Amino acid sequence: MIRRLIYLWLAVLAGAAIAAEAPPPQPAPPQPAAPKVVRIGVASPAVGNPPLYTTGSLGLARYKGWIDEELKGSGTRAQWFFFKGAGPAVNEALTNKQLDLVFQGDLPAIMARAAGLKTRLVLPVAIRSNVYLLVPPDSPIRGIADLKGKRVSIFRGTNAHLPVNRILAAHGLSERDLRAINFDNASAQAALTTRDIDAAFLGVESLKLVEQGVARIAYSTQGGPAVLTRQSGLLASDDFAARHPDTVRRVVRGVVRAAYWASDDAHRAEVFKVWSLMGYPLSSFETDYRDQSVKARVSPLFDPFLIGRYQDAVTGAQQFRLARGKVDVAAWIDRRFVDAALKELKLEHYWTPLDAQGRPLTTRSASAR
Amino acid sequence: MTSLSNTLGPLPLAAAPSWPARLAAPLRRAGHWAAGLLLPLALFALWQYAVRHQWLAEQILPPPALVWQSLGELWYSGELRDHLAISLARVGWSVLLGGGAGLVLGAALGLSRTARAYLLPSFELVAQFPVVGWVPLLIVFLGIDEALKVAAISLAVLVPVTVNTHRGIVGIPRPLLDVGRVYRFTVPQTLWRVVLPAAAPSLFNGLRQGVMQAWLTLVFVELLASSEGIGYLMVWGRQLLQLDLVVVAMLTIGAVGLALDLALRWAESRLASWRRGAF
Amino acid sequence: MTTSHSARRDYRGLVPPALLLLAWFAAGRLGWTNPTLIPPPEQVLAVAWHYLGSGELFRALAASLARDLGGFALGALAGIGLGVLLGVSRWAERLLGPTFHTLKQISLFAWIPLLSIWLGYNDGSRVVFIAVSAFYPVALATFEGVRGVTRAQFEVARVHGFTARQRLTRLILPAAAPQILTGLNLGLVYAWLATIGAEFLLPAYGDIGLGDTVIRGRAAFNVALVIFGMLAIGGVGVALNRVFHRLERRLLRWRGDPR
Repeated sequence: MIRRLIYLWLAVLAGAAIAAEAPPPQPAPPQPAAPKVVRIGVASPAVGNPPLYTTGSLGLARYKGWIDEELKGSGTRAQWFFFKGAGPAVNEALTNKQLDLVFQGDLPAIMARAAGLKTRLVLPVAIRSNVYLLVPPDSPIRGIADLKGKRVSIFRGTNAHLPVNRILAAHGLSERDLRAINFDNASAQAALTTRDIDAAFLGVESLKLVEQGVARIAYSTQGGPAVLTRQSGLLASDDFAARHPDTVRRVVRGVVRAAYWASDDAHRAEVFKVWSLMGYPLSSFETDYRDQSVKARVSPLFDPFLIGRYQDAVTGAQQFRLARGKVDVAAWIDRRFVDAALKELKLEHYWTPLDAQGRPLTTRSASAR
Repeated sequence: MTSLSNTLGPLPLAAAPSWPARLAAPLRRAGHWAAGLLLPLALFALWQYAVRHQWLAEQILPPPALVWQSLGELWYSGELRDHLAISLARVGWSVLLGGGAGLVLGAALGLSRTARAYLLPSFELVAQFPVVGWVPLLIVFLGIDEALKVAAISLAVLVPVTVNTHRGIVGIPRPLLDVGRVYRFTVPQTLWRVVLPAAAPSLFNGLRQGVMQAWLTLVFVELLASSEGIGYLMVWGRQLLQLDLVVVAMLTIGAVGLALDLALRWAESRLASWRRGAF
Repeated sequence: MTTSHSARRDYRGLVPPALLLLAWFAAGRLGWTNPTLIPPPEQVLAVAWHYLGSGELFRALAASLARDLGGFALGALAGIGLGVLLGVSRWAERLLGPTFHTLKQISLFAWIPLLSIWLGYNDGSRVVFIAVSAFYPVALATFEGVRGVTRAQFEVARVHGFTARQRLTRLILPAAAPQILTGLNLGLVYAWLATIGAEFLLPAYGDIGLGDTVIRGRAAFNVALVIFGMLAIGGVGVALNRVFHRLERRLLRWRGDPR
């Protein structure tokens, strides 16, 4: 019995030694053929069955069929996945190699990149998205300063997380001064309705609560410093971008086309109508875009503003201990796809690049606004 | 353990008479320990091997060294202890509340034929509802604060405690109760000196099941709706894509479960000796 | 469960549910409560009618039951396998036992995050989770049942010259059947708990199931739907128990058990 035990121990020790010594395997060689499907993950829920997703320039491109149009003839089909768990859930799927392209906010993308996930940022999609503080209509909360000690929902780990921290800091508060509760948007909306929480930081998709009369906007980033807003972009897995650059280029072109179409003030009413198809009231978008053109929010440019926002998010992620490693934003961005799309569509000078603070960089384009 | 030598037939130890006999027992025990450690070690080696060969992406299969490092960081920063203290407080209150209510309800069912006739059918029906099924309804009524957690966990404790209390009391042999009558015990005396010792093993069994159910339900509620506690640590680690935090939380949950189990076993053995003394 | 087999039915047991229903009705009628928070019974009935009529309930029920029973079957088979192994082989028990008893202490739901990350947000991870939840009670009960088979019974088997397989099918499994059945019953209870828990904690887009129905009801603040869903979940739990006990009785009778 002792002998058998010793043999077993030896076997396990040998196994452990092999495990410690064996070299890691080599990566597989690239395959140039066009893929059958491109799996696109969206860090936002869709509605209905078949899933309907129409918001932002990406949703518009999907609804108008422009991405399918771009992919036509390449033998590639777009397959869409929507995640109620937002950015963090997208990251999990990306890690499991279940997605090729993803649309998500800055912070989750940075967390994933810092955790070692190999991605490239290929296209800014939604920039300067507003953050709203919603409270029950009869709540005494009038602004950020009133939040001290209150139960406030923040969807942590999404691109609202850092702006909320900055908004609080701008009012001399931190997350520790409130009773922060981590809810996804649907739960936060429900909890606000039932008054389980005193306030919630949410986005335009939750303004329907205002329309329904169960919430009031106590604070918003509208008209405030652009550095307090949220940014989102399209990312490609490194692997996919290296193997199938043509597919990435086609999808990017479809989204840029949608951004261009939406930027035309003549289409403003129709854009809002398409966006509201997911069950959002039109008034949400009218509120969200008050005194602002759609063009200013769908710019696909990697300008100093966007790069600055992502760099700032990297700093914030480390400061709040949300990410371990450091992310080099300049090396992460792969502008080839958007540059090619802008050139092909002759839109190189259509959008106005912004400086780091969100001000137009040139006077010529400033007057165009 | 004494039957070991019978079942295994000739032991190799017996075949080696040159070894002093008094060394045999400790050696054998060490052997059992070593055997029990083999599988964990093999699993650990497999883990390390899988990490090195990237069977799963590094982000979702954290290397053991990283888990160990995070455990250290979380422990020394006090974060882990804070989460654990919150979770244990929730379990503690719930065991107290749910256990107390279960004890009363179970005793009523056990002692009173009328209570049994009115309450038992409803109780037996409701007891078959899975506890997690109640949670959404509780959220509607109680919100998502402490009240929800304590109510849900208490409910999980209530059922096994009631069932076992009831069973323990019903199972008391009649002669034992008759003895009490002969001695003209008052009701509290009967409860304390006859019912309690006689039903004690069953009561304790209920408590043990209750505590284990509480720990199970706690993790569920904390995963579903919470901003602190050991279950929330897992949610948090997941949102950050720092799976080492999830593994640390899992290890902690396992360790606490094990500690609870050992503590209850120890208490049970103490109880058994108290019981022998009471009779 | 002690269902009343007595000839005279005792109707006093119906009093508490009747009182509850009455209070619920009265609360709605007399305006004691906020009707959005506590919808009147007729509203729950209306929801039930709608869900029964549109077939939505049956689709959700079928999806949940398929997950439940699929996971249960997997977990129960693995549990019986491990239980028998631990029961018949001292070596297996020494090698695997400590690890098994330690892992058992990890609260069930703590597996969900890792499982869902490794296997993805799909039915696969749910079924595996349900299997894990059924596995432990079945393995434990089987182990105890098999361990209870006496040496004398083994002697008889040896005298009859049973092969290893015969020993398993003719001696060990029948002798341990009562415990294995108890374990299976517990496993079934846990599997259903895990099914609902998994549907709450791993909501996948477009998935259906009773748990998903309740989650949707809560998100839309449709309390009537939440109540109805909860009753349906509880009802299935009760029904599963009933069916199992019927099967158990039949099985034990077939085995020639006196009870």
